[in-house]
Amino acid sequence: MEKGVFSIYMAGVGGQGLVLLSNVIGSACAKAGIRALTGEQHGLSQRSGSINVHMRIGQNIRSPLIPIGGADVLLSLEALEALRYVEYLQQGGVVLMNSRIQHPIAETALHVKDKSATYFSVDEVRNRLSQVTDKIAIIDALALGRDAGNPMTENIIMLGALSVIEAFPVPEKSIRESIAENVPKKAVDANLKAFEQGKGHAYEHLCNVIKCRK
Amino acid sequence: MFLGVNDVPRDEPGRVFVLCNEAIVRAAIEADVKVVSAYPGSPTTEILDTFSSVAPKFDYRMEISVNEKVALETCAGASMAGLRSMTSMKSVGLNVASDAFYSLSYTGVIGGMVIVVADDPTAHSSQSEQDGRYFAMSSYIPMIEPSDPQEAMSMVKSAFELSERHGVPVIIRTTTRVSHQSGMADFGKIERKSFAKLAWDHHPGRFVTVAETARTFKLALLERTRKMEEEFDKSPLNIIKETGSDFGIITSGAGYNYAVDACSILGLTPSILKLGTTYPIPRKLIAGFLKRLKTVVIVEELSPYLELHVESIAREANPTIAIHGKRNGIFSEAFEYNTNIVVDGIATTFGVQKTINYSAILDKAKELKNGLPNRYPTFCPGCPHRASLYALRQALKGVKHVVATDIGCYSLSILEPVNYGDTLLCMGACIGVASGIQYAVNEKVVAIIGDSTFYHAGIPGLINAVHHGDDFTLIILDNEVTAMTGQQPNPGSDVGAGGRPSKPMILENVIGGLGLEDITIVDPYDLKNAVVAMKDALTRKGPNVIISRRACALHSDRQKRRKGEVIRSNEVAKEICKKPYTCIRNFDCPAISINDNDRKAEISEELCDRCDVCAKICPFASIHLREVE
Repeated sequence: MEKGVFSIYMAGVGGQGLVLLSNVIGSACAKAGIRALTGEQHGLSQRSGSINVHMRIGQNIRSPLIPIGGADVLLSLEALEALRYVEYLQQGGVVLMNSRIQHPIAETALHVKDKSATYFSVDEVRNRLSQVTDKIAIIDALALGRDAGNPMTENIIMLGALSVIEAFPVPEKSIRESIAENVPKKAVDANLKAFEQGKGHAYEHLCNVIKCRK
Repeated sequence: MFLGVNDVPRDEPGRVFVLCNEAIVRAAIEADVKVVSAYPGSPTTEILDTFSSVAPKFDYRMEISVNEKVALETCAGASMAGLRSMTSMKSVGLNVASDAFYSLSYTGVIGGMVIVVADDPTAHSSQSEQDGRYFAMSSYIPMIEPSDPQEAMSMVKSAFELSERHGVPVIIRTTTRVSHQSGMADFGKIERKSFAKLAWDHHPGRFVTVAETARTFKLALLERTRKMEEEFDKSPLNIIKETGSDFGIITSGAGYNYAVDACSILGLTPSILKLGTTYPIPRKLIAGFLKRLKTVVIVEELSPYLELHVESIAREANPTIAIHGKRNGIFSEAFEYNTNIVVDGIATTFGVQKTINYSAILDKAKELKNGLPNRYPTFCPGCPHRASLYALRQALKGVKHVVATDIGCYSLSILEPVNYGDTLLCMGACIGVASGIQYAVNEKVVAIIGDSTFYHAGIPGLINAVHHGDDFTLIILDNEVTAMTGQQPNPGSDVGAGGRPSKPMILENVIGGLGLEDITIVDPYDLKNAVVAMKDALTRKGPNVIISRRACALHSDRQKRRKGEVIRSNEVAKEICKKPYTCIRNFDCPAISINDNDRKAEISEELCDRCDVCAKICPFASIHLREVE
């Protein structure tokens, strides 16, 4: 719809490192001489609530917000949050979704009253999203993060997967440099490893769903 | 902390990806700001945070102030003496500061003074969608509006110069989507003069506004405003993109970003007037722009502020022009805009065919999201407020009561599924409101306030209640910090901006000093004793105070991690759990959920903060420290 723009709608739950993720990508863009903008949420929304970051990459963009139906990629650090923002995804756009679910307290409170209720599941999210796109990649980022030596690296695992997408306009080298500069010093190794884990996992399992870089 | 913090203090100039709030700080540092004072408030908080974290590198004097009024007064004093100063506040923060603010327009300043005020359309993290632009208009204080980090940098520098040229503070007005926008900005050189005190220039009455001097000041400020308007008519802060079209757009701030993208989506090329100076309004500039047009669309969020000005200018400049905006229903006065809203508005105005049907996408999304559970912000795992409110509700079991709450993390108790709290107006209001409610009803009246909010605006209310003997119980949730905005120090802290030592207030001494003797102090993690002590205090005649004291979990976790402590978690012994769900009812911790198969509670290892309060609630003692391999 908009030429020369690559839009990533990022979603998650407060505390998952979404703003860090968008900062890593943004700084990588600055290094590569590419223009990038984000619309972020700070403050009240962090308290275990639903959060989102709009990220737009391209030379001529002005608005940090992605229009409805405008996201090339919907990247979600939590499965329910992918569905919550489905209106931003382009028809046929890519969903990169962490398989982790953090059950909202409102849902748990209902289950105390209704003994037969079951939680909203990853499969349910996938089924519903599949009405909008067939490019849905589900990643167990928590498990991959643990393998990388730090379960807090879910965000960078997802970045690794994002980086293999053919249309993603940011060079890998800039991203690696940006990770090294932007994550806490003692976590640099784990994060660089997490980036590789995410990338490797995507190449191995997701290139049948998403169009990958060579 | 935000990442640009790494970049803000750097010496070498160059292009960086930076949050607009951080760009504002960098610009102020490049402009040699000498005194900074602010109280945190979203969406401006990162200005204070960034100033505080880079303070050790520079020589500006900084206070994390008790409230916005004192912060503004501190900057006013410094700038009356001749130093450059900056304060920042959210929209409603200016309400608090407004008394000093209006007078300051009369007295003026000598050193450049910049007041950053950020409105919050959609009320993402505010109690209202207040449009701060009317403050500028009603106070005669000039206002400049950037739309991105790069503009914010150059406009902050211009604002300091403008302030000194006209001897008046200048507002930099942003909105959430400008403040919380990260993008590219070019950092300049840092060339600061070393800090030196000035000699006060003695002209008695120079900064005194009352009666006779006020009348003199008023005439002078009208003249000042006239001169500024003339200047703004030619200012490079206002940009016209002339395309020769008879269709034009007038916009400013975030609205400009959406307007540009919307026109590119629709394939339209209107002439655009982007206003950087939105008070005083550059009337001649606007008149010249309107003359060439048949139709103009005003793209601005919240009130029709620009639109009403344009209407009045058009009466002379171009009486037949069609003006589209909020007044003819193209746009709403509610909530923030985005590109698709502006696409819809412009397409409706011109009957242009859209390539994408936004409402169809939204309808489909609504259908797909049917049954998706809500996820409102709530207390973090380990948050002492969860324990305090649980204890309070236990202590008030069977007692009919009314809860006046206040601004802070504890406000989140009004959201699903906690749903606790009856009134909330603004910072500190719970105390005055409680005084009123106790006159009006028979129920027990409880007011809830945090330590930071109590220092900010609660103390006068409590003095009033003590003086009049108003019968309610005030619960002060003392978590050591201003938690909601990111755990900034407050007057109860022993460190201030930049880690500088500061004298901590002792809350119970402050209250005791008012002559209020009935003070109960509890630790909400010590649940049983807290409930007993609260119950006891709540039966006594008020006013009395319960201080529930325990550090903010995010704050203390950070300190623990710094010391190398590992934060462990609890788990549920499934063989003991009898599924009473007492650990869930009225407790609502995000770390606790119910297993779909055995229907027993379980605790997330990643989320649990091990406050251990759930273990104290469980009647079967089934919750214990998770064993690690």
